[in-house]
Amino acid sequence: MHPPMSRLVFLALSLELALPAAAAAEEKLQVVTTIETFADFARRVGGDEVEVQSLSHGYQDPHFVEAKPNLMVILNRADLLVRVGLDLEIGWLPPLVVGSRNPRIQRGQRGDLDLSTVLEPLDIPTTKVDRSQGDIHPLGNPHYWLPPVNAVRCARGIRDQLAELRPERKAYFDEQFRKFVDNLKTAATRWEAMARPLSGLKIVTYHKSWSYVSRWLHLVEVGYIEDRPGISPSPAHLAQLIQTMRIQGVRVIIVESFYNRSIAENVAEKAGAKVVAAPSDVGATPAIKTYFDLVDAFLKGVLDVVT
Amino acid sequence: MRTIDALALALAALSVPARAQDAGVPSGTEPSLAEQIEAAAGVTTPPGPATVVPPSPTPRGFQSFNPDLSVIVDATAGYGNRPSYSTAGDDPVLKGGSSDRPAGFTLQELEVAFQAVVDPFFRADVFLTIPNLEGLEIEEAVITTTSLPAGFQVRAGVFRSAFGRQNGQHLHLQDFTRRPLINEAFLGVDGLRAPGLQISWLFPTPFFLQLSAEAFSVPRPDDTGHLTSFGGGKSTDLTYTTELKVFAPLGDAVSLYGGLNAAFGKSTYPRDGASTSVEGVDLYLKYKPPNVAGGYFSLAWTTEYFLRQVQPLTAEESVAHDGGLYSQLVLQLARQWFLGVRQDFLGLPESSLQPRVERTSLSVTFVFSEFARLRLYGERETSRTTGPPESSNPASFAAYFQLEVGIGAHGAHPF
Repeated sequence: MHPPMSRLVFLALSLELALPAAAAAEEKLQVVTTIETFADFARRVGGDEVEVQSLSHGYQDPHFVEAKPNLMVILNRADLLVRVGLDLEIGWLPPLVVGSRNPRIQRGQRGDLDLSTVLEPLDIPTTKVDRSQGDIHPLGNPHYWLPPVNAVRCARGIRDQLAELRPERKAYFDEQFRKFVDNLKTAATRWEAMARPLSGLKIVTYHKSWSYVSRWLHLVEVGYIEDRPGISPSPAHLAQLIQTMRIQGVRVIIVESFYNRSIAENVAEKAGAKVVAAPSDVGATPAIKTYFDLVDAFLKGVLDVVT
Repeated sequence: MRTIDALALALAALSVPARAQDAGVPSGTEPSLAEQIEAAAGVTTPPGPATVVPPSPTPRGFQSFNPDLSVIVDATAGYGNRPSYSTAGDDPVLKGGSSDRPAGFTLQELEVAFQAVVDPFFRADVFLTIPNLEGLEIEEAVITTTSLPAGFQVRAGVFRSAFGRQNGQHLHLQDFTRRPLINEAFLGVDGLRAPGLQISWLFPTPFFLQLSAEAFSVPRPDDTGHLTSFGGGKSTDLTYTTELKVFAPLGDAVSLYGGLNAAFGKSTYPRDGASTSVEGVDLYLKYKPPNVAGGYFSLAWTTEYFLRQVQPLTAEESVAHDGGLYSQLVLQLARQWFLGVRQDFLGLPESSLQPRVERTSLSVTFVFSEFARLRLYGERETSRTTGPPESSNPASFAAYFQLEVGIGAHGAHPF
């Protein structure tokens, strides 16, 4: 009853080649993203050509999403998987992609889009690293999607991949992308005004995960609560950090809203600073429904503490 | 302390200018954000995806076609007042035996893993283990298809069967130093692991439902004096299994994962070649909030029940039944602390096939990092034959310290 293996493989190949063209006429492209911010980009750029779902929620730590089997079901139907890359999802995504049995989104296929390839990562180690420094990212810092310039690059990467999967709708994706860019440019005036008082602000963050935001807003990162990712900070490190914060007059500690804030609160109290539970992804709170909400909420959160 | 403060001051003073430069304090000539956005958007659509990527001056990581390589080491020390009822292949084996009390150190297991994508159609995962410094074993060497259509997947090679929850897991995924009793009692000392073929199918349902069928050539057990479910009969007799797995996410924090399993083969005992079947049901319930903002507490409850039938070879004999169960609860009490408690039963229902064994285990695990943990494990075990004649052994106790570390790039594990 079952065709032999070689024929199945052949069938898979021919299906893979035939599917996008055959399905193009009426069905929506199924886009699955690993984070909610990318889902917002994909909805904006894909418009009514796409149906979008995110595997993780903005209130989850994107490093430690549980590889729940229902996520394989979502991936099984995907035409395009949009991921952050730089090993951010390495702890949970690979077994889901294999388990999805979806040839279209396997690594290297046209349905696999790693958005870290459309921009230049920061914090790429220049010397040999090992895990004595904690669970670091050897390929560079993957927390790149918040600054508007990177948002444009990500949306552009999605537009190009959608156009490749559905070439006859390329003009539509271009138009949608243009709308997004124009909306961003409108918001840019507001964001620039909000960001002005933050320029040069000295901050401490939970992890070294805000490099792109710091570069955008000209924040000065003075230290980190958890200096070695994934390893509980030592009392000596915290004592030194408090000392440094006092000397330098650091008033703000930025912690992603999904982390536990007890240590940061403790440090803040001793150093005379305040903790910002900062949203880092769309969906971090129910009110943050879009990328625009996310940037507004982030800037407002920091401004509230500073002013 | 004063030296440290002075050092901190010096360090802080040194690091500020460097970091300020790093963050790039505005030079005054920076284009506006809207201009930067426009520049990043590009005026026209580039013709191909290659032009999207800005030329990168830095090398994008170390490129290599070597497979991901990792090593997991379990260094274990312990003490027992007498040998326990049976020993699984990856249990710690200490020096000493029936006359001496087992005590001392062992390298419970060394696992070496090689994992990589083969080509657009396959991936391969090879796990070699050396348990207790004795002999190199192929824990798994499995080829998995990645490109079959219609939700099918085929695995071939040597692999652990999908039968039940813990049979498929390697030692370092266990929450206790020793595996549950039913694993070795019903599926073999190394669990159900043999050369074979698996075909599985993901149902096109809106929820996760997966059916798999496997065939194995189970090697004949070394010790045929004990009841082993499979590996008996002719050397050409295969062992067949089928598994149905279903997953229900009950909100963000609660997950329910269940399985129904059956395996059929030939036993070596009480008669070589007796048809044997094992049916199993497993349930895994996990509570883990989607983030740790409100604390680190999580909970995982696992239960499996196996029931075995050994068919008679002659008309005078009747079908022999026996069963076994374990139930375990693992609590995460703090960021780095886990507490586990497990109860094992063999002989549910009681039968002539094997004694009634009960084991209570407790484990306390301290996690240094993702890659290192220290576990303290203790167990109390009693066994009694249901006769005739009925006899019971005094309780045995054992305690172990297990230090487990992993180096290298080890592939992520399924839920």
